[in-house]
Amino acid sequence: MNNKQQSPVKKLLAIRGMGAALTAFVGLVIIYIAFGLINSAVFSGQNILNLLRSMSKYLLIGIAQSYVLITGNIDLSIGSMVGMSAMISATLMTTGMNPLLAILISLLCCLVIGVVNGYLVGKFKLPPFIATLGTMFVARGIAYMVNGNRNTDAIATGIGKEAADKFQNFFYYGKTLGVYNTFWIAMIVFIIFFFVLSKTRTGRHIYAIGSNVDAAKLSGVDVVATTIKTYLISATCSCLVGLILCAQAGMGNMEAGNMYEMYGVAAGVIGGVSPLGGTGILLGTLAGAAVWQTLENGLNMIGAQVGIQRVVIGVIVVVAVLLDVVVRNGKFGKRK
Amino acid sequence: MNEIIVSMNHISKSFPGVKALDDVHFELRSGEVMALLGENGAGKSTLMKILSGVYTRDDGTMEIFGKEYGDLTPKQAQEVGVAIIHQELNMCRHLSVAENMFLGRELAGKFTLDNRKMRQEAKRILDDLKIDINPDQTVGDLPVSKQQMVEIAKALSINAKILIMDEPTSALTAKEIEDLFRIIRKLKAEGRGIVYISHRLEELAEIVDRVTIMRDGQYITNGNFADMTMDQIITNMVGREIKEKFPRVSCEKGKKVFEVKHLNAGKMVRDINFSLYEGEIVGFAGLMGAGRTETTRAIFGADPKDRGEIWLDGQEIKINCPMDAIKHGVVLAPEDRKKDGLCTKLSIRQNLALPNLDMICNGLGVISSTKEDKLCEEAVQNLRIKTPNVEIDSGNLSGGNQQKVVVGKWLARNSRVVIFDEPTRGIDVGAKVEIYNLMNELKKQGIAVMFVSSEMPEVMGIADRIIVMCDGRITGEVMAQDTTQNEILTMATSFENKKIVS
Repeated sequence: MNNKQQSPVKKLLAIRGMGAALTAFVGLVIIYIAFGLINSAVFSGQNILNLLRSMSKYLLIGIAQSYVLITGNIDLSIGSMVGMSAMISATLMTTGMNPLLAILISLLCCLVIGVVNGYLVGKFKLPPFIATLGTMFVARGIAYMVNGNRNTDAIATGIGKEAADKFQNFFYYGKTLGVYNTFWIAMIVFIIFFFVLSKTRTGRHIYAIGSNVDAAKLSGVDVVATTIKTYLISATCSCLVGLILCAQAGMGNMEAGNMYEMYGVAAGVIGGVSPLGGTGILLGTLAGAAVWQTLENGLNMIGAQVGIQRVVIGVIVVVAVLLDVVVRNGKFGKRK
Repeated sequence: MNEIIVSMNHISKSFPGVKALDDVHFELRSGEVMALLGENGAGKSTLMKILSGVYTRDDGTMEIFGKEYGDLTPKQAQEVGVAIIHQELNMCRHLSVAENMFLGRELAGKFTLDNRKMRQEAKRILDDLKIDINPDQTVGDLPVSKQQMVEIAKALSINAKILIMDEPTSALTAKEIEDLFRIIRKLKAEGRGIVYISHRLEELAEIVDRVTIMRDGQYITNGNFADMTMDQIITNMVGREIKEKFPRVSCEKGKKVFEVKHLNAGKMVRDINFSLYEGEIVGFAGLMGAGRTETTRAIFGADPKDRGEIWLDGQEIKINCPMDAIKHGVVLAPEDRKKDGLCTKLSIRQNLALPNLDMICNGLGVISSTKEDKLCEEAVQNLRIKTPNVEIDSGNLSGGNQQKVVVGKWLARNSRVVIFDEPTRGIDVGAKVEIYNLMNELKKQGIAVMFVSSEMPEVMGIADRIIVMCDGRITGEVMAQDTTQNEILTMATSFENKKIVS
């Protein structure tokens, strides 16, 4: 990438990871139009609104996983934290607790899991796959336990009805400026974390650790603290998605967020985040989440069965990574 | 100028099983280039890693700019003004030049990183050094020589007063070395102290003021470079008179077994030609990075060959992968036991059986435990592997015994050519002699033995004929009886386009 000529396009392309992100956006447009040509309902205003709303969940999960992937680690506990957050907030609200307080307690619980992940991986050097596999089971177990191994009743009944209605509107059913709130929440989170990753010291250190952890350490980067931060960010985003799922269902479901950690990997990887660490930008994750949701939505709209949907999505993920590997090998020669 | 800026006294450091440094002295003055010389494993890098805070010392004192320091961390060392440019370059290849230079001490505004300022500052330093590198370039896309320049620029951006360069020229071309020397002279003129570690003795005259010589983890001497002859330096580096216990058996030299013709593979294997005969051990001498390991790997089919022919017993054979080599009876005991030689988490039994599974499995691929037991028993007995049983993890064995397992993998087959790459590295004297005896045994059986070693005494003591490599080429061939270490060292440092000093 040579950016001696500073034309805006070249300047944009000179940003590392932008190439992969833009490729994903191009893919997104193609997929969207293709589905729209088959079934024009894909282009309808209501479908676009639905698309934006359901994409938001995957975007938040994608951000969570991308932060961890860029350091070269992985967080398998994301889906379980989503379930935990949904169950804890729902259970507390059915007792009539103020939603704000319920949210706070859910967040706190997720952050505890995040800290544990961060310490196990950063401080005690456990393989992230193992460490977060453990917390994945623990968090899911907690999700089961909070309401005695049962899903909760509807949150908008009895004493807390009014507050719970507000909660559901705020996170899922309400609109601002004609678009569902869920989308705006995801956008605000996206902008904050996009900024953190690309413009701050913490962000720089996250890339450095993923690129060469020894060099980072010898340059004075606090590897442990930075690793913990990535897992805390992952936990925060997971908590938010749990709240959204709780608002959507109007109750707590013990299986909420099942497999979401993998959806997060998929969103990141489609957008050019390398699971080997060091590369990828959140714009790519945004594109990846959109591709993912457009596929799901489009396949639904043209009447594809769940089975074929899974197959298509699986193939897309592998092809995206395959492209990444081929491009890398071409660019950097043989990898050791 | 010329004040003492670093003074290290009585420094000792042990690693498990090895005394890496023993009561070492080191002194550096401002405005000078100090060459730190010694053979592989003399402790040069270890000493410099202590100075730069990568390792902590066991004993001794360290003064920098007249102030005594205890254990430094890398970050503290940087703050004091010590910067080290490691032999294996240590950069984040995904980040840009400017990002790497300021890693760990980024300049920041109120909320965001001040990328513009960092880029400007990086540009200023690079311009100052007259290095033509764009600060926005991704480091992974730069050639090694440029990456090294970036490391130097990084050291200067923290305003390092003491620069340690560990083998900085090992990957550079003649032109790039010129560039590097220009920069070193400039840094010297600014009053910085530079420690220069290199195996390329012929380039010292260009920039070095003083030398410190180490050997086997001990301080030997220091002095002005101008007052020393190259012979004195080499004698001090190599030291001891060589009459150690190297068992030698004499055999009748038989017919030609193996021949390599015009072998080329990448940069480090260039037009290699040699033959191996029955009843002789051929030593491959040279400095680290001379291309010997690469040559063995290319012969064995572990790395791709660009061109070249391989002949065995008068017939050309094709080796495209290790399996081909093994089928023809050409086997390799690789340099890095733990990485390439053994599956350290598997048992001795599993390791010994691995390349021989074709011989001990029945038609369905089921392993016959009787055959496997027999194979293991023979290997343990023949090689005197010291272990209570063969179920122990091979990673838990001592270095010498590990090496025996590596060799044992191949002895069950009727090998014709056995290639040993640094078989005695990191193992104790007794085990070394056993390895030598093993090679002698193969030699007596008429098996061709190729013996790569960086330790001059053992090559001279064990090999019958010695081939010397430098920079990926064969630069000489001598009979072990009628050569001297100095002659070999001269051939091992005869780089292209450069004259030998002295």
